[in-house]
Amino acid sequence: MARRLLSLVPGLAFIALLLAGLEWAVDAGLVRRALMPPPSAIWAVLQDLGTSGEVLGPLFATLRLVFIGFALGSAVGIALGTAMGWWSAAFRLLEPLVEMMRPIPKAALVPPLMLFLGLGDTMKITSVALAVTFPVLVNTLQGVRGVDRVLLDSARTHGWGTGRTLRHVVLPASLPFILAGMRTSLGLALILAVLAEMLTGQGGLGFLILDMQRSFLIRQMYAWLVILALVGLALNALFGWAESRALHWQQRN
Amino acid sequence: MRRVSSGVWLVLALLLLWEVSARTGLVDSPNWPPLTRVIAVLGRDIVSGELPLLVGSTLARMFTGLAAGTVAGVSFGLLFGASRLARLVLGPTVELLRPIPIPAVIPPLVLFLGLDNGMKITVGAVTAFFPVLTNTAQGLRAVEADQIAMARTFGVPAWRRLSRVTLPAILPYVLAGLRVALALTLVTTVVAEMIAGEQGIGHYLVLMQFAGRAEEMYAAVLVLAFLGYALNRGFVVMERRLIGWFFATGREG
Repeated sequence: MARRLLSLVPGLAFIALLLAGLEWAVDAGLVRRALMPPPSAIWAVLQDLGTSGEVLGPLFATLRLVFIGFALGSAVGIALGTAMGWWSAAFRLLEPLVEMMRPIPKAALVPPLMLFLGLGDTMKITSVALAVTFPVLVNTLQGVRGVDRVLLDSARTHGWGTGRTLRHVVLPASLPFILAGMRTSLGLALILAVLAEMLTGQGGLGFLILDMQRSFLIRQMYAWLVILALVGLALNALFGWAESRALHWQQRN
Repeated sequence: MRRVSSGVWLVLALLLLWEVSARTGLVDSPNWPPLTRVIAVLGRDIVSGELPLLVGSTLARMFTGLAAGTVAGVSFGLLFGASRLARLVLGPTVELLRPIPIPAVIPPLVLFLGLDNGMKITVGAVTAFFPVLTNTAQGLRAVEADQIAMARTFGVPAWRRLSRVTLPAILPYVLAGLRVALALTLVTTVVAEMIAGEQGIGHYLVLMQFAGRAEEMYAAVLVLAFLGYALNRGFVVMERRLIGWFFATGREG
């Protein structure tokens, strides 16, 4: 543990050096202050946003989109992926549709969705969920198909029904795949949430970053960007933690 | 000739439902034009050269960004893979920047680079950089150290060692990263066009949505779906040609 912490020192020192260098470059007039305020000024804004509690509203608005969209998309992806991997009839029925929908850059679906679902949360959550579904679906399918035949045979030997086999054999065995898909999707979920907020001109962090830029409140823009970056970092760390807990049995073998 | 599967029928049925629901007024909305009208508009705008021009400009930006991001990603990946020091010093900065959702960096980039090509190419490059970097560094660590050591023993000069031994050996890993980067770069380039400036198919899509020209909007979505599909197929073909040996020797993963 101490070694791990120690190994972080050079990297953190480098980041500190970068920030100090930037501060100096702005002060010395090498970088235009109007485009890139000094880190200390951005820090002051961050403190303001934090102490006044102003950060909470937009932060939770964006987190809500990401969480609900991610949960919905993952649930649909896992359910369809499992069905398609388990029943060949389901695979034959859905595969062409999935292959047709999958390559669509989901960002392109935001404008049509705006026409049908308006500018509110329903539209944004749907956009996020759509982007999340397909990587999860494809990975789940791959995982379910790759389950060891011996495991399935022994479940059948024990007279386990489909439901029980799926829950206790197939899903745990394909969990590493499912989680790999969800990891890809997490990044996409954030991208879509931010994009949807920017295009609708309302909502949380994504909207604020664009809005601050358009209002020439540059320090505020960077402050919200830092907050969004921290959200991305925290979500990734959270997912990594959940993943290592869910897969602890795998590393033990 | 493969038997037409139930899935193909499902897709056809859904497309038919689209057509019928729009024609009979089942869904009576200016946002829901019949599929045949969308296809007619698509054909008209392809023949007139409008769509090919838009797609061409989007692709040109995308590939320029992808190329720049790949070169930077491979360079840093080699550096990270080869030098523990570089990894220690620069690693945390990269990990800090990686989870930022790309659309969020568009507003600050607009400040520095304006609304046109420079900004959008940079967005693409930043997108491509991270997956390529990660995969290159992983590849370098996975490639047998023996190969490189042997080349050194035989006195192959460093430059030739890099171009003749190291780079071919890690190519499969670089390509795996590039494949992820390709799909993501298409998304973020289109997103950049949607959010800022007046270029490319992304801007066209948003413009048609605002103008309430649903046929044109759906035609643009179809074009993007086709692009997503074609780019991925093209990549798979190229990959088979370049690194057929990798798959042939069964050394995947």
